[in-house]
Amino acid sequence: MKEEDQTAMKFLPFLLRNVFRNRRRTLLTVTSIAISLFLVATLLTVLSELNEPPSTPDGALRLITRHKVSLANILPIAHKDKIATIPGVKAVVASMWFGGVYKDPSNFFANFAVTTDHVFELYGDDLRMSDAEKQAFLKDRTGCVAGRKLAKRFNWKLGEKIFLKGTVFQMNPELTLRGIYEGPDEGSLFFHWEYLNEGLNNANICVMFFIKADKAEDVPRIAERVDALFQNSTAPTKTETEKAFVLGFISMMGNIQLLITSICSGVIFAIVLVAANTMAMSIRERTREIGILKALGFRRAHVLFLLLSEAIVITLSGSLIGSWGARLLYSNMDLSTMTQGFLQRFYVTPQTLTLCALIGLAVGVVSAGIPAWQASRRSVVDALRRVV
Amino acid sequence: MKIPLKYNLRSLLVRWVGTLMTALGIGLTVAIFIVMNALVNGLDSTFVQTGHENNLIVIRQGSQNESNSYFDRNLYDTVRLLDGIARDSSGEPLASGEITVIINHPRLTGESSNVLIRGVTEMGFKLRPEVRLTAGRMFRGGVRELLVSESLSRRFQNMQIGKSIHIARSDWHVVGLFEAEGTAYDSEVFAGYEDVAQEWDRPIYSSILIKAVDAQAAGRLKKRIEDDQRIHLQGLDQKEYFRAQTISSVGIKALGFFIAVVMGIGSCFAAMNMMYSAVLGRIKEVGTLRALGFKKRSILSSFLIESVILALFGGVLGCLMALPLHGLSTGTANFMSFSEVLFHFRITPAILLKGLAFAAVVGVLGGILPARRAAKIKLVEVLRD
Repeated sequence: MKEEDQTAMKFLPFLLRNVFRNRRRTLLTVTSIAISLFLVATLLTVLSELNEPPSTPDGALRLITRHKVSLANILPIAHKDKIATIPGVKAVVASMWFGGVYKDPSNFFANFAVTTDHVFELYGDDLRMSDAEKQAFLKDRTGCVAGRKLAKRFNWKLGEKIFLKGTVFQMNPELTLRGIYEGPDEGSLFFHWEYLNEGLNNANICVMFFIKADKAEDVPRIAERVDALFQNSTAPTKTETEKAFVLGFISMMGNIQLLITSICSGVIFAIVLVAANTMAMSIRERTREIGILKALGFRRAHVLFLLLSEAIVITLSGSLIGSWGARLLYSNMDLSTMTQGFLQRFYVTPQTLTLCALIGLAVGVVSAGIPAWQASRRSVVDALRRVV
Repeated sequence: MKIPLKYNLRSLLVRWVGTLMTALGIGLTVAIFIVMNALVNGLDSTFVQTGHENNLIVIRQGSQNESNSYFDRNLYDTVRLLDGIARDSSGEPLASGEITVIINHPRLTGESSNVLIRGVTEMGFKLRPEVRLTAGRMFRGGVRELLVSESLSRRFQNMQIGKSIHIARSDWHVVGLFEAEGTAYDSEVFAGYEDVAQEWDRPIYSSILIKAVDAQAAGRLKKRIEDDQRIHLQGLDQKEYFRAQTISSVGIKALGFFIAVVMGIGSCFAAMNMMYSAVLGRIKEVGTLRALGFKKRSILSSFLIESVILALFGGVLGCLMALPLHGLSTGTANFMSFSEVLFHFRITPAILLKGLAFAAVVGVLGGILPARRAAKIKLVEVLRD
């Protein structure tokens, strides 16, 4: 093993010389592969963002209860107290998608009416703000809290008057900003469910219940208990973990997984062609040299090893530049604000980087495989005689 | 004097392996470009094709969609008897009071999505002549029967004739399938108005679809409805109402644009690589051309043309790769109606031309530097070699 390492090291200068023999070609190939892998890294990140919604320790303890038929069906608020009696339930919050418009429909952001008695217990660290702000919000029936990014987007300060126009409900709440929160989602606004309920003539309805379990192992049992509780009521429910709920929402968008994986395969196949073309060109030009190497006593395996490593150096550096470039670019961009909260963190994960490196490696082997194999098999006489 | 095109074609043929590989690479890019365009086009045209001239959808003021509109049932008569609404052969005004609800239902693949159910009366079909029964029979009122679109029945569980779906408190039987000429109604389920209103316990209308006698009457009706302070309703042009839902494709558009730009740049580099090696491998030939009296400009344009031919060949391969996807049906979320919309990949001649133009741009951008390099080749340089 050690000896082999030494052999590899010995050939490194020779290898690099060959890589840089035709600088322009190497540069163009590396750039082309880097751009393609940048795209692959981006698409894989979109996919992992959608498949693995941001999860927090508090989020793992949360469940969401909705009407069994669909989210567009309403539930009676009376369910809330019944859910709270289930052992293992730490907090229950009734929530209603308000869908209010701020000034213009293009200013879209999520806004919810929530019951406030357990709201800070429910969200825990996912809704961080000072105690003073929390108290101010709890005390003011027409108060609201907004995420840091949302407040920044509209340049809201504490005490700001925020007027929403109802779309789902015929009510136009006049809110006062009492707190600005930090957390994994900083693009939403929450206000008092009691305030909305008054506007709806005490209809006493809501759309979802957020439940927080005491312990993670209680989560599945609570889901079953809640649904069993309302099975025969006029408003049967479906309870699932917050993660499953979000994934269900995403699956509504259609088969994004298939779309993205097919595009990625197309891109990878394209770079195999590009790299194979480069390697074929460069090996063809060197047929005579390879003949000389073999005449000097280099074995077939040596030649194959040299040519393959050369290809791998090119494709791997392309893939590393592309995928790390993507990571660097996206960590310095605020995509969450740019996509209005659709993409939350957009972080190129270590798994994606590893996968991209492996793709680079594989593309090198596949693309150089055939020309290198042919070159290594060619007899010395044949190679030396060949006129290029 | 121009260098004959045959020279370029033969040069490409001589290096056919390299030509084919580069062209295939560009072809894949073009294929992806076409597929993304076909997705957007299919989704958009589903909405654009929906609706008829002079039809108005009357919904509650403040709501932007039927799915979050609801109003008192007795407003139906107020609207129905307004002046300017067309009448059918028996003298009834063409006005259809409807309720829309959403169910969360599993697809054949297992995961669930939202499906829109529209509760209608006979009038609903009079206003939608595009809806045609293709199998089974029309639903009867009072016994919880459903009419499912062909597209939905191919995509969702238990939505085939003879099967039944448990919704809320009762079992609903699928008794017929329909087809709606590729409009947004192809993503809906129809049922009797009273049945739906009862099951959901909502004695309301979500919308009233009306047909005005002509464009002028439509304008007057719109104003009349909006100005009536007592009813709080608004009339939206049916075609515009659906056109506004093309916003559903905004995500695919953004993704497609991003992919096309990035892959386009990558392909330019690949084409450049190929063309540089073509130029440098033919220094002697270029020298000979110069010696024969061809101008620098002729050589520049000749190599540029060669690059464009190479890219266009890739473009044609790309079109061929993408074409089999034409007509493939798929679905995505329509976040305005909060339900699934089904559509087909639609590859039109215009999209294929766009794909070829895209390839040509790659050819020009990738070929320009190598072509300039070729034009710079000096006669002396070659003769000395």
